[in-house]
Amino acid sequence: MDSLATLKKGFLNGLSLTVDMIKVIVPFYLLVELLRYLGFIRVIGGIFRPFMGLFGLPGESALALIAGYTANLYAAIAVLKPLHLSSKDVTIIALMLGISHSLPVETPVTKKAGVNAWPLLVARVAFSLLAGMALNLAWKLF
Amino acid sequence: METLLASLKGAFFLCGQLFLIIVPLTILYEFLKTKQAAIGAHRRSFAGISGNGLIPLLTGVIIGLTYGAGVIIHSIRSTDITKREAFLILLYLSICHAVIEDTLIFVVIGANGVILLVARFSLATLLTYLVYKTRHLKR
Repeated sequence: MDSLATLKKGFLNGLSLTVDMIKVIVPFYLLVELLRYLGFIRVIGGIFRPFMGLFGLPGESALALIAGYTANLYAAIAVLKPLHLSSKDVTIIALMLGISHSLPVETPVTKKAGVNAWPLLVARVAFSLLAGMALNLAWKLF
Repeated sequence: METLLASLKGAFFLCGQLFLIIVPLTILYEFLKTKQAAIGAHRRSFAGISGNGLIPLLTGVIIGLTYGAGVIIHSIRSTDITKREAFLILLYLSICHAVIEDTLIFVVIGANGVILLVARFSLATLLTYLVYKTRHLKR
């Protein structure tokens, strides 16, 4: 009986998480498709090409990085899917986003645990960028 | 109009895939929450993280910072975990948390999950150990 209650709670949590996720993914996904349809994706790609080149990624993937850092991973995925990147590119940006994402939501958690949040925030962004560069180099070597 | 419909279809298909990943995980998380006491009993410590520290650490690594926030904050405040140990735990978690969900949702769109897991675990472990060592030397 007890484990049935746990099962139900877990399922309901998953359901509400999915509803939150749909609210994020659908608008971001449509926005990126719209931007691509209007030709803006190419413009954005051009602007960010030098920066994203550090990680061996196309310029337009900067959108996913921004969405992931400031909003959350669902937003980042909604942006990435319509860009149709290669498996190598998705792995590199996934590592960067895995290390550093949802910063406005997660940083207060570290603060509430009684820890100085600034060094952790800096470490996350710095290691996210470094790990992206390192994985890109490793991919070229092996 | 057709493009819009195709986009909507793509967006909802993605949501459906993620739904299939998320629901089993949230159920697993609820079961893990009921097993916490057993984890805290461990006596070994590594890189300045004690048995007590294992509860917030494992909660964060498996469940994540957003969903596991309550457990992480409570278990750090309610036990005799020092400020220094709390910093090391959160440093580890900053780099490496919610590993199951984060990895699977990227695998859905084509990422290599093994590389992601190995890279995040080794980077977090290395960094935490280095910070622990340098702070150790200072005292």
